[in-house]
Amino acid sequence: MNFNIHANYDKEITKKDLRKVFWRSIPMEHSWNYERMMNVGYCFAMIPALKKLYPKKEDFIEAMKRHLELYNVTPYISTLPLGISVAMEEKRAQDPENFDTDSISNVKTAFMGPLSGIGDSIYWGTLRVIAIGIGASLAVKGSLLGPLMFLLVFNVPHFLIRYILTFVGYKFGAEALKKLEEIGIMDKVMRMAGILGLTIAGAMTSEMVYFDIPIKLGAGEEAATVQSILDGIVPGLGPLALFGAVYFIMKKKKCSPLLMMFILMALGIAGAFFGFLGVVE
Amino acid sequence: MMSLGVQAVLLGIVGFLSNAEWFLGTCFIQHPIILGPLTGLIVGDLQAGIIMGGTMELAWAGFASIGAYDPPDPVAGTILGVAFAIKSGAGPEAALSLGVPIAVITLAIGNALGYPVLQIFAHICDKNAAEGNDRALTRNCIISGFLAWGISSPIVPLAYYFGSDKVVEIMGGIPEFISEGMDIAGGLLPALGFALLARMIMKKELAPFFFIGYFIVAYSGISTTGVALFAILIMVLYFTMNKDRLMGAQAADGAAVLQTKDAGGDFDEF
Repeated sequence: MNFNIHANYDKEITKKDLRKVFWRSIPMEHSWNYERMMNVGYCFAMIPALKKLYPKKEDFIEAMKRHLELYNVTPYISTLPLGISVAMEEKRAQDPENFDTDSISNVKTAFMGPLSGIGDSIYWGTLRVIAIGIGASLAVKGSLLGPLMFLLVFNVPHFLIRYILTFVGYKFGAEALKKLEEIGIMDKVMRMAGILGLTIAGAMTSEMVYFDIPIKLGAGEEAATVQSILDGIVPGLGPLALFGAVYFIMKKKKCSPLLMMFILMALGIAGAFFGFLGVVE
Repeated sequence: MMSLGVQAVLLGIVGFLSNAEWFLGTCFIQHPIILGPLTGLIVGDLQAGIIMGGTMELAWAGFASIGAYDPPDPVAGTILGVAFAIKSGAGPEAALSLGVPIAVITLAIGNALGYPVLQIFAHICDKNAAEGNDRALTRNCIISGFLAWGISSPIVPLAYYFGSDKVVEIMGGIPEFISEGMDIAGGLLPALGFALLARMIMKKELAPFFFIGYFIVAYSGISTTGVALFAILIMVLYFTMNKDRLMGAQAADGAAVLQTKDAGGDFDEF
């Protein structure tokens, strides 16, 4: 089988640029935060490509801001969405008038959920377990090969696949964009990506925004927590209300993201102190 | 034989450097199986360090870091557990029973100090981006992780030098609601992240799709991957059922009709 991971590189981006993106993808989780997760790492990895594609400072700034939005994926396969993002940014830079810029975030978001699910089970669920199995069984016998094998069994495939996926992602992105343009269904597919992105964002919001309201109403046997009452009406109502409130405040620009961050952190600490919020078990 | 002070400093350095796990691609250098032998080497019994590291690794294997959840801090747990066990001439089980309580406390302290730092740096990076200063963003990205997890690094050498009881006693003085509050905030802060993302991708006429995704998970508890799978399949179905209409616009443009076949095949891969 003749499978070529490389695209044609007939536009701005070269193999060398993608290699830089790969190197900079390595600290993907170094700056992981609760609020937007891998956003800084993602932008960090995109910088070499963005800098080349957008010589004008305003464009470069806008592009960096785009990639500072929330992102989360198994770090080991982060180069796949990165490669796709690079291909889309390249297309956009070529013809900003006719390119739907939002589609870059839409496609990124659409990929984030499914890729994480697959990546987590392959890397955390399988490869990690194999590495521990081999490494620990040697180590408990006192062999220095234990720790060495542990690192190698996990990291050799990890870095190899991480490297290859950079080019696979770019090639997939570049070729898909080309084909969609040729047959003239770019806008329709991008619209679908938008729908998929929003659905995934909704699903992930439900998965990742959570809190418990352990305040008890009533007394004795009849006592029920506010949480269980809310869950009885519509599950996930509390987190959705929080999301909605934050969304509208941010949309109306009544509050800077930094201030909102402090408010949420203070809310968490006050909730723990007064006991009106709890950790979800 | 190294003095206690030198050992403490070296153990502190190992602990600090192991924070490069994430900087080096989440490459697992922070695992007990790696830290055990390094601790053994410093304390004077490499062989015991390897064995204890392996034993602790198996214990830690249950704490997978999946999604937003964190396993108990293996750094302080392994280093202190192994060091104390070797010093007292006890076996691998002692390393585990000495290490886990410390790991639970240092995790709480580390999170209470580390996550706020990362939060603040994420916003500093926003500012760097708005100024078009990618060098500052690069620098701050690198500093953030080392600073966030470095703050709690002195716990290891201090606990080794003064004894872990003393350190646990002092750390017990830090009110629990702060670390618990950060845990709760961990579930609240993504609301801001998703709100900022939604501000970018939300379109009024498509908004119901956000709620569809949300309530499928809230009601059924199926994973995002499951939701994505169904969504993709529905879209493929929609596309194939409406192929003629969707392709109609293109045919009118006078492009080659042959390519229609191509497009169908291409979409199957999606």
